[in-house]
Amino acid sequence: MLRGEQGAAVQEAIAFQVEVGRFFGAESFVPITNAHVMGDIEVMGDGGFGFLERIAGEGAKCRVATDSNARCMHFDDVACLKPDAPEEAKERRVVQILRDMRVATTDTCINYQTVYQPKRGEHVAWGDTGTVIYANSVFGARTNYEGGFSSFAAALTGRTPAYGFHLDAPRRGSIAVRLEATMRDVADWGAVGRIVGHPNQDYFAVPVIEGAKAMPLSDELKHLGASLASYGSMAMYHLVGVTPEAATAAEAFGGRAPDSRVTITDADIEGVYRSYRYAEGAKNVVVFSGPQLSLFEMQDLAGRFAGRRVAAGMHVFVTTNHAIHSDSARLGYLRTLEEAGVTVLQGVCFYILQRLTEIRAENGWVNLVSNSAKLVNTITAHRFNTVLRRTADCVDIACTGVLR
Amino acid sequence: MSLVLHVARAWGPAVEGEALVMKEGFSPRYDLNRVTGVITRIGHSAEGESIRDRILVIPTTKGGVAGGWAFNDLRHKGIAPRALVFGKLNPVMVQGAVLAKLPITEGWTRNALEDIRTGQRIRVDPAARTITIL
Repeated sequence: MLRGEQGAAVQEAIAFQVEVGRFFGAESFVPITNAHVMGDIEVMGDGGFGFLERIAGEGAKCRVATDSNARCMHFDDVACLKPDAPEEAKERRVVQILRDMRVATTDTCINYQTVYQPKRGEHVAWGDTGTVIYANSVFGARTNYEGGFSSFAAALTGRTPAYGFHLDAPRRGSIAVRLEATMRDVADWGAVGRIVGHPNQDYFAVPVIEGAKAMPLSDELKHLGASLASYGSMAMYHLVGVTPEAATAAEAFGGRAPDSRVTITDADIEGVYRSYRYAEGAKNVVVFSGPQLSLFEMQDLAGRFAGRRVAAGMHVFVTTNHAIHSDSARLGYLRTLEEAGVTVLQGVCFYILQRLTEIRAENGWVNLVSNSAKLVNTITAHRFNTVLRRTADCVDIACTGVLR
Repeated sequence: MSLVLHVARAWGPAVEGEALVMKEGFSPRYDLNRVTGVITRIGHSAEGESIRDRILVIPTTKGGVAGGWAFNDLRHKGIAPRALVFGKLNPVMVQGAVLAKLPITEGWTRNALEDIRTGQRIRVDPAARTITIL
């Protein structure tokens, strides 16, 4: 590959992987079975667009099954979320380039719920933090964060440097978390992610959470992981008695002594909600996104909005992927949500929307209320005032307009 | 005599530039306006500062896979930083820096956040694994 016998794109990909692997002291590569690539015009810009066009022109083809992360624009007409026309043309071109490279453009950040579920010990190269932490923690699969060209390079070479979470030692727990709180909503799990992640920002920190009173659902673990990854830049957690490498706390720690300990009570969770302040503003948004909603989240939300109506001055957005959008249409969830005045976007995630800073200003939006702890953290460069609330509260705020 | 800090691991060519020291984690997605190169997160310790041609001294990373593409695009737009000096980082920062050919280091023997002040000129030498305050 390095000699260029498999083409210029593969040569560039493997050379890049060698450099990254050297930084982390990787001694070898591991073969991968699956890649998840993140590439949208908002984050790659003209620099990345030109790069991608060039390697596609060199005949780059994925040699393992590869899908794509959420896009930065929906291609349906939503008047208040208009992207720039030239950027929209480029984004459409990016989608075509990905398909030419043999990427299945699923446009989803919940591939682990809807596209591919790797098994314990299976090496993959996934390029979205929420997908990575779910793969490592819930499936016991093995991946690092593979951002930008990194996941593409892995898809082109079919391998990735063996460092970080591909190895045994970094997967051992390092933070002991005692969960005493009663978990009532996905937002509570997101709050746990903030409490554990924010003071411990460290990719190589691995929380071991003990004390869950009920078996957590996939959507709850999705929000926990997305939040830990967002606040803590973390790539793995263990939930004792739940996740595959943590039958016991002793197994999760693997002989490593915890660097720190934290106990989380109901009061700590309430403290997270109380830490947000509303800003003065007549126009506000409620967003269910980050990660995209699963089918059961769509069903649940449709039930909550049924017969209600989004209040004046409020905009409500939901994002999901094409597959779940299609099923939600078939099952009637979409109609219920749209009758209530909710806008459902497909194939995107809200916080990565192209020209979001301008969109916010044009619409005069001030507060962004969400049940996603990740979203209220990631969107801040666009100067929204963000507030985390439980799902039921988000729906009430959306339908009454009362910010509480 | 200039003060020399040693780093744990590093990549890229040696560069000199003006330091911009942050007190908290940094993500090009969460904290930065990637059109202007100005840090726009409300309340960030470097809010209002431009990263262009500065050497960013950052304790930790936040999030996120955005850096994988973002540094390359910042370079394309002419608003890239000159180097990245991290206390702790995640692989995305390295992947993004290698793609953008931006020097990057991790770990420091002394507390760089106390030794280096915003506005000071520093030299980052990845091959020697040193940061020199000039």
